[in-house]
Amino acid sequence: MRRSILGLAAAALVAGTQLIAPTMAEAAAKCIKGDRKPPFTVGWANIYSVPTWMKQTEGTITDVVEQLKKDGLVDNLVITDAEGNANNQITQIQSMIDTDVDAIVVIAGSSTALNRVIEQACEKGIAVANVDSLVDTDQLTVKINTNSNEWGKQAAQFIADKLGGQGKIIIMNGPAGISVSEDRRAGATPVLEANPGLEVLTETNTAYNSAPAQEAMTSLLFQYPEIDGILSLGGALSAGAILAMDRQGRELPPMTGENYRQFLELWKEKDLTAWATMQPNWLGGLGVYAAVQALNGKDIQPYVEVPLPIIDNGNIDEYLARAGEFPADGYIYSPYDLAMFDQLLGLK
Amino acid sequence: MRQVPSGAALHARLIWRRNRGQIGLFVLLALLLALYAFLHPGLLSWAGIARFTQNWFPVALVAIAQTLVMLMGGIDLAIGAMVGLGTVLAATLVGESALGAGLGITATVAIGVAAGGLVGTIVALFGLPAIIVTLASSFLIGGAALLVMPRPGGSMPGWLSEGLVGVHPTALLILIVILVAWRVLRATPLGLSIDAAGDNPAGAFRSGVNVALARIAAYAISGGLAAFAGVYVAAQTGAGDPLIGNPLALQSITAAVLGGVGFLGGQGTIRGAVAGSLLLAVLVNVMFFLGLPPVAQYVMQGLIIVAAMGIKRLRERAA
Repeated sequence: MRRSILGLAAAALVAGTQLIAPTMAEAAAKCIKGDRKPPFTVGWANIYSVPTWMKQTEGTITDVVEQLKKDGLVDNLVITDAEGNANNQITQIQSMIDTDVDAIVVIAGSSTALNRVIEQACEKGIAVANVDSLVDTDQLTVKINTNSNEWGKQAAQFIADKLGGQGKIIIMNGPAGISVSEDRRAGATPVLEANPGLEVLTETNTAYNSAPAQEAMTSLLFQYPEIDGILSLGGALSAGAILAMDRQGRELPPMTGENYRQFLELWKEKDLTAWATMQPNWLGGLGVYAAVQALNGKDIQPYVEVPLPIIDNGNIDEYLARAGEFPADGYIYSPYDLAMFDQLLGLK
Repeated sequence: MRQVPSGAALHARLIWRRNRGQIGLFVLLALLLALYAFLHPGLLSWAGIARFTQNWFPVALVAIAQTLVMLMGGIDLAIGAMVGLGTVLAATLVGESALGAGLGITATVAIGVAAGGLVGTIVALFGLPAIIVTLASSFLIGGAALLVMPRPGGSMPGWLSEGLVGVHPTALLILIVILVAWRVLRATPLGLSIDAAGDNPAGAFRSGVNVALARIAAYAISGGLAAFAGVYVAAQTGAGDPLIGNPLALQSITAAVLGGVGFLGGQGTIRGAVAGSLLLAVLVNVMFFLGLPPVAQYVMQGLIIVAAMGIKRLRERAA
């Protein structure tokens, strides 16, 4: 019986009519079978809860869950922490499947390791929203991210423009072997090739934290008396670079970075020419919202690209005005609300 | 003339001495397993056992690999990197056909044995501290993994993944085979010399045991096991990831120490290390089903590890 109704619904869709009752699941989004009813249990499979960026991301998740609870859409949030170990994350997602949660939001510890367990969740009709660090498999409800390639491209373009295509630069990368870090670097490559006047002195690979970046930059400063630009590809790397250069009394060249609070504050304080974008923490909250909307029968696209918000000398004050709301070692992300989420998901 | 104890009596005493410290661990493990089964009755089915052992298996393998080296008075910080190298080699070398898969797995394990043997040679022949040599080799091996595959990728044949991590307890069977193989090895001259060289290197040397060779063999077997753990993880995830093994280095040491393996060599058993790894694996699940928040997870883990070690220490004092 259920099958024939679904068949009819499909036929109606093909005919292009809009006659489907709103209470009936259209099963439009991937993994959704339409047999799960609100209030839903949401699982948040975190790879690592300790870094501030992750804590802030979790903050947006709990915030969105609270809002959805008021509408009776969600009744429970299960949080796990894989402590940076993809093997643990597999186990924990497995456990979420065993307890039959309705939705899983996941930041992947490895772009490949979770493929099988996520596919298994999808087969059971669990809405899986993968944000930030993405997995390779397409057997899930929705992937939500900014475009890392574009991130690197725009950052490199800023440096090329500010230096007039001529100068010596240092490239600061995140850890080697991490998709985000590799993708941002790959995005910068064509810009660098188009500007042969830009000489890359050297590149660093460190964790996205200030201290290791500062350490790496300090030793490089002795080696390179002339640095015209710093192409920093994320996290707190730029803050580390500024601290290292400032300590040695070096002039601060144009640089790129991310919305790390300390970087933005140093940028203002030292009156830099700089550019930053961000990996918004509310990708986590958006993941919860998208999964719940999918369970509710909304048509969610398999891939949602969130545009990169740009911070430059023109609008940095707007960000710094809200600095007090964020932890000292945190990220000042752009504001969000559910109406904006609807727009990003194309639901309005 | 003084009465010399018989060989059997000496052996029995040795066995008792080896296992004495582990009773606390086994009791704790039994309690946690019972609690897990109570919280999640689905565990007690073929699928439940299969899934659980699959997630436990890589940790068990690296715990065994670590124990072999620690029994020699060494430590291997490169085990995690070796697992990473194993996954990328497997995802690159393992072919679609049965023959291709067999060759690829053999090649991956052989590279692990060679790398382990090389590290063992440096430690045994040059007398350098294992912690320094393996720290350096962890960078070399980790770098090699990134050279093979700068980012996660590659693929494993679907049938192999299905065979190793489908809904059947293949992992458990392989683990039992490895434990049996270890018992068999212990009955051979090489196995005996590994045992003796770990327990009392000077005495073993004077008894004509080639201590250096025993050490090299232990590192080589350890490297092979770590590479095989990489093959398994690649099958489990369907791809290679150069960094995925890194957390396993610390986990392997934790599991071995929980299992009663000492840092000075000679003390501990493989089965203890396997039990230690099982404890770590069960903990992750029990904490999930108890609904503990992430912060409590860290505290709970620390407490259990301290408790397991404390029980061991108390028993040792009492003895």
